[in-house]
Amino acid sequence: MNGLESFGQDPWWLVGLKALAIFVILVLLTLFSIWYERKVVAWMQVRPGPNRNGPFGLLQSLADGLKLAFKEDLVPKAADKIVFLLAPMISTVCAFTAFAVIPFGPVVSVFGVETPLQLTDLPVAVLLVLATSALGVYGIVLGGWSSGSTYSLLGSLRAAAQVISYEIAMGLSIVAVFLTAGSLSTSQIVAAQQGGQEVTLFGTSFTIPGWYALLLLPSFIVFAISVVGETNRAPFDLPEAESELVGGFHTEYSSLKFALFFLAEYINMVTVSAMATTLFLGGWQAPFPASWWPGANEGWWPVLWFFLKVLILLFGFVWLRGTLPRFRYDQFMRLGWKVLVPANLLWIVVLAAVRAGTQQPEWSAQWVGMIGGAFLLVLLVIWFWPGRKKYEQATEPDTGLGGFPVPPLDLQVPPSPRVKRLTAEREPVSVSAGDDATAEGKEG
Amino acid sequence: MNLLADALASGTVTTGEAVTFWILAPIALGGAIGMVLARSAVHSALLLACTMLSLGVLYMLQSGPFIGFVQIIVYTGAIMMLFLFVIMLVGRDSRDSLLETLRGQRLAAIGLGIGMALLLCTGLARGIGSVTAVGLDEANANGNVQGIAADLFTKYVFAFEVTSALLITAAVGAMLLAHVERRKGDRPGQKELSRLRFRKGNYPGPKAGPGVFATSDSVATPALLPDGTESERSISPVVPVRELTPAEAAPKGTDGGKRK
Amino acid sequence: MELYGPIVVLFAIALAFAIISVVGARLAGPRRFNRAKNEAYECGIEPTPTGPGGGKFPIKFYLTAMLFIVFDIEIIFLYPWAVAFDSLGLFGFVEMVLFIATVFIAYTYVWRRGGLDWD
Repeated sequence: MNGLESFGQDPWWLVGLKALAIFVILVLLTLFSIWYERKVVAWMQVRPGPNRNGPFGLLQSLADGLKLAFKEDLVPKAADKIVFLLAPMISTVCAFTAFAVIPFGPVVSVFGVETPLQLTDLPVAVLLVLATSALGVYGIVLGGWSSGSTYSLLGSLRAAAQVISYEIAMGLSIVAVFLTAGSLSTSQIVAAQQGGQEVTLFGTSFTIPGWYALLLLPSFIVFAISVVGETNRAPFDLPEAESELVGGFHTEYSSLKFALFFLAEYINMVTVSAMATTLFLGGWQAPFPASWWPGANEGWWPVLWFFLKVLILLFGFVWLRGTLPRFRYDQFMRLGWKVLVPANLLWIVVLAAVRAGTQQPEWSAQWVGMIGGAFLLVLLVIWFWPGRKKYEQATEPDTGLGGFPVPPLDLQVPPSPRVKRLTAEREPVSVSAGDDATAEGKEG
Repeated sequence: MNLLADALASGTVTTGEAVTFWILAPIALGGAIGMVLARSAVHSALLLACTMLSLGVLYMLQSGPFIGFVQIIVYTGAIMMLFLFVIMLVGRDSRDSLLETLRGQRLAAIGLGIGMALLLCTGLARGIGSVTAVGLDEANANGNVQGIAADLFTKYVFAFEVTSALLITAAVGAMLLAHVERRKGDRPGQKELSRLRFRKGNYPGPKAGPGVFATSDSVATPALLPDGTESERSISPVVPVRELTPAEAAPKGTDGGKRK
Repeated sequence: MELYGPIVVLFAIALAFAIISVVGARLAGPRRFNRAKNEAYECGIEPTPTGPGGGKFPIKFYLTAMLFIVFDIEIIFLYPWAVAFDSLGLFGFVEMVLFIATVFIAYTYVWRRGGLDWD
């Protein structure tokens, strides 16, 4: 009917096998990515990271998970018992279900049955992922509310407001993909990214892949930013800001119920990485032109490319966590509502205009390109136009009574201890308010 | 020619479809009844979300995958989330007042409810009895989403554009109800706060951490100054100071008696 | 119909896993009653008593949820439009620009009134 003929033909045992395989892959990938994250962050901070359990500490997260299973399962006195139990289950089930439409590879033969390496595909497959992420918010909101604790409630509210705000940015960013691919089905979006364009630059010609990350770069950037907000990861991990809210919405959770929330968070991370791979990075297709190795996009090899791309994106998540400080809540909401949403809408209109223009036979592609380019240039100029307010050099030192308390302009910074070791002797620090400080010191 | 018999005879209702219907229909109905009967407002909202979800799946069953997922995303995801927010806004323990403020409200509600039920029943009876379903295959010929787009953006373009006016109304209404207008000078800025902090009579440094050098590490235990007196400033005014009994202050048995 | 079956299977596996985990933790973990342990966690002090209406929170979140609905509906209209864009042609483009512009008026109004500011 619409390009999905190869789906829905599997015998029942193959459906079960595929579903079980996805489940096992997701659990293993979670265990792996927890270890991966801890190890990478550790290396970024020049320390060894987990290295006790198993080779390279690989079994660390398994040990943690098993430990959690034997911890006491607490239910707070003030909790709403049923909802408290239901919330982690909602989170987990939604996280797993979203993976049903992710394509891992092309049609292969499993025990003599020809089948695509994808559990199923729908004419509206991407909507399934959006729907599960919309339902996953319930797990967070209900978990925080039912705990009957102030920290949990505040954490869950923040989380819910954050997730729904960034869901808008994410939903808008993939409109451009649907516009270009002309389909909502994941397997067809991957197929639409097949092939590439021959480009000649400085005398050498090479093929750039038809990935939407290159073709629709603004969409990819917005998608990448918004999924970090969507999955509550650093630098947008405000719902779990441990310096403000203890544990956020799962403060009161313990034992495997806590583990389920943790599992759901990591699966969500894997899911959005897989979505980014599918929608923008060519899905399971080889990261190099097929002319280099004709067999790269056939058989089981694509699974390797797929997981390679997912792991690289996961590394991006860890990298962000290792390098960026947490946003303030108002800055975060401002970024979502005042930058990502309008920029995205504008980009959709521009893209649609270009596409409508190229459809008209009497308008040549060059004209459209030139007009579009000029329009984009004007937008960029407006965007980066320097503000009228220039930074003003402070004319006189502020002593702290009239304005901000600032150190005097002639403050001499004491030399670092390393310099001291070299020179063996150090000049005393002379600060204008030094007299007061020494007098106080003597009294104390 | 009746719809039900027709569908059964021609075999368009598959076993899977029938099974799903008989599972989901009781869930949807139970959710709706439970929503009215539940004591807690959050439970009511959850049961309603459950009903919405079942309806969404039923739409998919009727070969309308797009509208099914939209039902889940918009109703279950967005609108029920707004309901939950509103319920939490008024507090989790607030109950409906059972006092009638409008005279005869209950009677009118019963009457209107019965009327509505009658209307629905006649509509359903007509629908099952004498209407023949046609055109499903034509409507979905180019795919469900394309079919919806072709109708929505050509035949029903006026309704579509009017929806945007509805959305404006929603946004403006929410602003009027929920927004608290603030002028620029209403809140002290960073500069004013900084000035306040360094004013005479106020100690600008950070407060001593609670429980420092004390017998307990609770925030309710004041910090001790070097001379052994309790520091007033280490305690938040909202936390009541807890007097520890000698039994509470004594070392617990958890450290195995190794330390004194 | 056959396309949805596998989703149900994966859903069932995930649900079974979640139920087994929740029940299993109840059975495997120890249970030592302690009054303080069952209180809400608040850094060692007595939990804050909830106010007369229970846990209330700022009305600001209501506005966010309402705006979310407005934009969610806009997105839902954008999807079929994007998929069928090539067959709708210039007419489809113009009507969607009108729609986006109208919703944008609401957006600008909310922005100007300060509805998007957090403090």
